Amino acid sequence: MQKTTAQTGAGGAQSKTSGERLRALFGQPEFILFLVVILLIVLGGIKNPRSLGVENLKIMTRDTAILAIAAIGVSFTILTGGIDLSVGSIIGLAGVMSAYFMINWGLPIWLSITLTLLIGLGIGIYHGLFVTKLKMHGFLITLVTMGLARGFILVITNAFPITGLARAFTAMGQGYVFNLIPIPVLIAAGVAGIAFFVLRYTYIGRQIYAAGGNVEAARFSGVNVDARIILCYVVSVLCASIVGMIQAARMSLGHPGAGEGYELLAITAAILGGVSFSGGQGGVIGILVGALLIGVLQNLLVMLNINPYWHKIVISLVLLAAITFDYARRRRRV
Amino acid sequence: MDKQPLLRMESISKRFPGVQALEDVDFEVYPGEVLGFLGENGAGKSTLVKILSGVYTKDQGTIWFKGQTVEIHSPHAAQNAGITTIYQELALVPYLSVAENIFLNREPRLFRPLGMVDFRLMKRQAEEIMADLGVEIPGDKLVKELTVAAQQMVEIAKAISRNASLILMDEPTSALSSREVDALFSLMGRLKEKGVGVVFISHRLEEVLEVVDRIIVMRDGHRVGDLSRAEATKAKIIQMMVGREVSLFPKEEATIGEPILELRNLSGSNGVRDVSLTVHKGEIVGLAGLVGAGRTEVARLICGADRVTGGSLLIDGTEVQIHHTGDAVDQGIGWVPEDRKQHGLVLGMDVKSNISLAILKRISGFAGAIDAGKERDVALHYVDALSIATPDIAQTVSNLSGGNQQKVVLAKWLSSKPKLLIMDEPTRGIDVGAKAEVHALMSHLAQEGMGILMISSEMPEIIGMSDRVMVMCQGRITGEFARPNLSQEEIMTAATRFLRLEALDETGAEVAPTGFEHMGEQMAVHLANEDRD
Repeated sequence: MQKTTAQTGAGGAQSKTSGERLRALFGQPEFILFLVVILLIVLGGIKNPRSLGVENLKIMTRDTAILAIAAIGVSFTILTGGIDLSVGSIIGLAGVMSAYFMINWGLPIWLSITLTLLIGLGIGIYHGLFVTKLKMHGFLITLVTMGLARGFILVITNAFPITGLARAFTAMGQGYVFNLIPIPVLIAAGVAGIAFFVLRYTYIGRQIYAAGGNVEAARFSGVNVDARIILCYVVSVLCASIVGMIQAARMSLGHPGAGEGYELLAITAAILGGVSFSGGQGGVIGILVGALLIGVLQNLLVMLNINPYWHKIVISLVLLAAITFDYARRRRRV
Repeated sequence: MDKQPLLRMESISKRFPGVQALEDVDFEVYPGEVLGFLGENGAGKSTLVKILSGVYTKDQGTIWFKGQTVEIHSPHAAQNAGITTIYQELALVPYLSVAENIFLNREPRLFRPLGMVDFRLMKRQAEEIMADLGVEIPGDKLVKELTVAAQQMVEIAKAISRNASLILMDEPTSALSSREVDALFSLMGRLKEKGVGVVFISHRLEEVLEVVDRIIVMRDGHRVGDLSRAEATKAKIIQMMVGREVSLFPKEEATIGEPILELRNLSGSNGVRDVSLTVHKGEIVGLAGLVGAGRTEVARLICGADRVTGGSLLIDGTEVQIHHTGDAVDQGIGWVPEDRKQHGLVLGMDVKSNISLAILKRISGFAGAIDAGKERDVALHYVDALSIATPDIAQTVSNLSGGNQQKVVLAKWLSSKPKLLIMDEPTRGIDVGAKAEVHALMSHLAQEGMGILMISSEMPEIIGMSDRVMVMCQGRITGEFARPNLSQEEIMTAATRFLRLEALDETGAEVAPTGFEHMGEQMAVHLANEDRD
């Protein structure tokens, strides 16, 4: 017969020595990743001191922030055991559509942004419905959207950029607060804050993790699994739409090629940040560090004058390393 | 029998964590013999078969095969030695032809340097092998187009063509119609003539008695009986299979009150037909039947996992509509599923999160934020109340033992304070100690006024724990028995009612014993109505 060994960790947690706490910190993959980021920054500073200048730091944080928004979005779908491949195309579509609403239809900025987000909402719901009602893997339906959205962009723009965006809109991508903090960083902080709260503290977040960990068990526990999964696909497209508008604002135009290949960056950042491809595991802090690593790495490649043709290879290799680590960890657990 | 045994196993023991699956078991099969191998679930039959087929390795004991001692380390070694196991899940490649499956990896070659296969020769040889067994299936037919019965024949033909001299069949008839069963039995006859030993495991005693020469009965990891066909009767076998004090079942008297759940002629999209049953406050209702009789499906209907197509469902006397699993939870129905890893637990989450999974909304406040303190209190309370052996509530559930995992599932549902708890095979695969604890808990919950609907395939559990037993067969209720008068035999009779009726129906039908040309078409209809699960 089993004995009751019901004890909480409460007593043990406080009596940890500082050495143990340090070891626990090093046991966190996020922390190790963060050290790698710092290493990269230091390395960059040594090789090219300008990389630590304010101007470059502004660029770097802005790029990282934009990537973080997309990575957080796509992570929601990965948490449910799915994926969203349409991120890049949605970025392009959102940039072009917002510009189209403002320039071709002459709509005010706020309305253009709202309409663009509504389109994103619609696409997200349609992804979610296919995944939940038809039991289709997210890979397939978002692959379709990836092609469809890119096609619509070309039809709408005739492959020409839509130019002439107002200052008030471009500030969203180009502006700074206190002439120091890029506005995209603030937007990313808002998105990350909400995502962190939902995933860490609310029942909705817990149910998303449960649905990703074992969809049947969650369903039989009374969790409205379909609603949670649809929500995740909506969040992903909405985040991509925000990124698309920021990118358009930053370039002062709606570019038909914007966001091409961006899903690679977003997914890499997410996996790197510890979001497990099998679903149900990962958190916002990790994703932020993952995005930071990719952002810093990309910036470093530029600052060190590495041939841009090599960039994609480097990023893909990082993805390979992150996935290998994820799968190796899972095999060990089994 | 004075012949040398084909296979002899002596003092075989096998222990799993927490349970002695086999203790000092002797086992022997003679050439040209069909041996019936019987016992309840968990008696150790499957363990012994798995040792013979190389899936498990024995802890102790010796195996002689064809007069020599053998060590069977892997399924591959078993096959090479000439021991083949036909499982319920078939091991054929569906998109290859019958002949290609039979000769897989040893195809006759046409022109060796080019590695070409002589398909015509292969088809002819395959058909010869099958004809020799009285089976006529075209060698070029794709396996996926065959019925389960025909696929079994192909597997047996494959085994014979590899010189198998001992064939183990684990519940081969569970998915067959009675006509197909007859065909299988005539094939067993052919195998006997060839001097092959056949071990036949089945829960259907009538079938066993029809075909076997000898019977070995297992109980609790021991061999408890050996009967020749002449001396074997159903009653004798059942007594041997069950014959023990049911002290594992601490059922206490509880006051039985108002009905909590009433099903009135409930039918569903999942094969449940016209089921009426009632569970009262304080009552444990056992739902008995063979695997695939539709018991789990009834639970799925009650819980909103499958669609109701007819009849009504009443909770506390009021008719309710349950469309989603969420509705069932809101109505106060909890479900401890049969497969806790698939349906009960999120294995990667911790104990606390699993326990709170069904009550998350209830313990959440402003902006949907979970009240962490309340969640911890609930988890701690149930870890303590159910004596869940875990270092702390932040432990990942996959690290716990089976019995403790089962208790976590129980804790999840108890924390939701259900009126009705459905327990599907509540003690499957957990050790004896935890089993008794779960039973004691059930008894206690009933005393506190909870209604319990217990689905179980273990007859002792059904008889030991139920106030009332409802028996199902092929999606329908076929019997109801109340507590003082529970007899295994009556329950078994009810559980096989339609199976026997069907057998009677078909005695007059014209079936050529070896006419398998159109087996696919003939039998598809039967299979469609057969067991699910």
